[in-house]
Amino acid sequence: MVEGVLTTLSISVLSFLLGMAAGLLLAFGRVYEKGSRPLVEVFEKFFRGIPELVLMLMFYWGVGSYIPFPFKNAVFTATFVLGMRSAANQSQIFRGAIRGIGEEQMVAARSLGFSKLWSAVHVMIPQVFVFSTPGLGSEYALLIKDSAYAFVIGVPDIMFITNSIRKATLDPVTPYLAAAFLYILLTFPVATWLDAWGSRRKKKLGL
Amino acid sequence: MDYIIEYLPLIFDGFILTVGVSLFGIFAGLALGIILALGDSYGGRIISTLIRVYVEFFRGSPIIIQLFVFLYVIPTLLNFRIDPLIVGFSIFALNSAAYQKGYIKGAMDAVFEDQMTAGLSIGMSKPQIIFYVILPQALRIVIPAWSNEYCSLTKSTPALLVIGVRDLTAAATTIIGQTYRVLETYVFIAMIYLAWITVITKIMDIVYEKKRIPGIEISA
Amino acid sequence: MLGEAEERKSWGYKEMTDIVMECKNLWKTYEQHLIAVKDVSLQIGEGDIKLIFGPSGSGKSTFLRCLAMLTPPDRGDILLRGECLTKAGTDLNKARTRIGFVFQQIYLFRHLTALGNVELALRRVLKLPKEEAEKRALEALEEVKMQEWSHHYPSQLSGGQQQRVGIARALARNPDIILLDEPTSALDPELTGEVIDTLRDLAKKGTTMLIVSHEMPFAREVADEMIFFDEGSIIETGPPEQFFTNPKSERAKKFMARLIKRTKRE
Repeated sequence: MVEGVLTTLSISVLSFLLGMAAGLLLAFGRVYEKGSRPLVEVFEKFFRGIPELVLMLMFYWGVGSYIPFPFKNAVFTATFVLGMRSAANQSQIFRGAIRGIGEEQMVAARSLGFSKLWSAVHVMIPQVFVFSTPGLGSEYALLIKDSAYAFVIGVPDIMFITNSIRKATLDPVTPYLAAAFLYILLTFPVATWLDAWGSRRKKKLGL
Repeated sequence: MDYIIEYLPLIFDGFILTVGVSLFGIFAGLALGIILALGDSYGGRIISTLIRVYVEFFRGSPIIIQLFVFLYVIPTLLNFRIDPLIVGFSIFALNSAAYQKGYIKGAMDAVFEDQMTAGLSIGMSKPQIIFYVILPQALRIVIPAWSNEYCSLTKSTPALLVIGVRDLTAAATTIIGQTYRVLETYVFIAMIYLAWITVITKIMDIVYEKKRIPGIEISA
Repeated sequence: MLGEAEERKSWGYKEMTDIVMECKNLWKTYEQHLIAVKDVSLQIGEGDIKLIFGPSGSGKSTFLRCLAMLTPPDRGDILLRGECLTKAGTDLNKARTRIGFVFQQIYLFRHLTALGNVELALRRVLKLPKEEAEKRALEALEEVKMQEWSHHYPSQLSGGQQQRVGIARALARNPDIILLDEPTSALDPELTGEVIDTLRDLAKKGTTMLIVSHEMPFAREVADEMIFFDEGSIIETGPPEQFFTNPKSERAKKFMARLIKRTKRE
């Protein structure tokens, strides 16, 4: 079971980070480079409009049969799908934060002579993070929970192992309750901690 | 793609089931969510704690686990069997209620203080104020969150195939089992989900516009 | 030139009044240490217009809310036309229909039109049928000259207009008395005028009012009696002229001096 927890965690964390990197790109792209808007919108619509499980099945069984590497690796596909979905979600979160922070910060930085890219990275991103913590907290919790879909394509995560235990011990009660407990344990503390960190930072910066 | 045509009835059945569960979930979740929000605000310490446990369970665990718990654990403990379809409908409703309680309570708290005082000043009783003043405003505020919630629900419905309910995704796996056309089938099914969600989102936008009262908006 | 208040007094009107509202030995404490209202007793007669003023934080608003039983007092009695409100078991909701309250922050119901705001109590508390409730609501709106705006939502109205609707809402049930908690303090200066005009009209019609306010010119013109409130107690009462020419108490003297200095500077 420990490996199961580790697998679940690694998938969630990896897809979270992947989503963050891509999400930042998407958000900033959409706000500051008008040309990229249609592409970003299509991406978001696709990965937010189709159920995660369907995407996993589609990529693993479907795309995997044409491009076996890397898509036939269940762990990779699960992380990829969740990462893209997360990117679409996080893009939305970051865009909201950017809008909340307002134009002035970028304008001020540009007027001092910094390039668009430098300003985005050094001025906006730190602020965006502080503003996004509630959204990111719930996105992380969502990833932990959605990682459970991965067992359908064979990833040995908590869900998968729970099912194996049930089949082995013929005890339908304990494994599932234990699994539920485990998941709650994984989602709850981090989300709350992120939220608290965010509020503290906000207070400190006088926001 | 023509091979799909003979499977259209199957796909249609799956689609109806998916839509049925999600619609039931969102509306039953709304009713239950309002009750939970009211219970949490006015029910006293014990009820609030119970509600909190309920919400933590349904929001902290994957829906697949919840389906299994309901399918296996509860019947075993109480010694009777439940049809997977009923499990599906119930869990989606209960799950959605946990999320909706959060939005609704948040909106209620936002308008609460001054509107309650104003209501008292004209002689209304607390229940009257909640029903005629606070809820009308809170429910309008949550419309965007509500439409989001429906999309969330719809995207969770594929979990149903894991407990043996024949939803849209289950239809896809059946078709693939018979025709071996993996990618095309999944893409087709994916497009159906996408279309449905897009349509619903558009409809919700229209509803929001119609029900909007200038001055009652979500704070950014 | 006599103000309205003096005119009414000269008719001997004041001698034969019914006491509309009365409070005896009112106390209200917050969190053990903060005593907001200290042993306050006050009588308001039919047609009286009394104005409470004083430094901020002196407990005036708290006192007013106690009178309307929005914040029940810790000790003391409140009587509305002889009926004791502080007794256990009183139907407070019924009682509150006989007291009109106007808030500093207005507190209109955002999801209802101006008409809806005014008729809500008539329909849901007094259970009047739709047509009659609407008719009375429109009458109340006419009194504050807002009947043209009856189908607008609060967010579409200016602050002054909103407050006038708030006054109409308080008037609609024909209450025995209207309590106003700094009705103009939250408004921009140019908007206070319309509210004050409305209150002046109401005063002319003989409405019983207890107002907490800083609007000194208005007080001088309309109030029968002014009450200086400081640190939770009534320090001094008297006709407006007393305060504007020669207050009896030291604290009132200091307060008026500061006030006049401020208005002179403006």
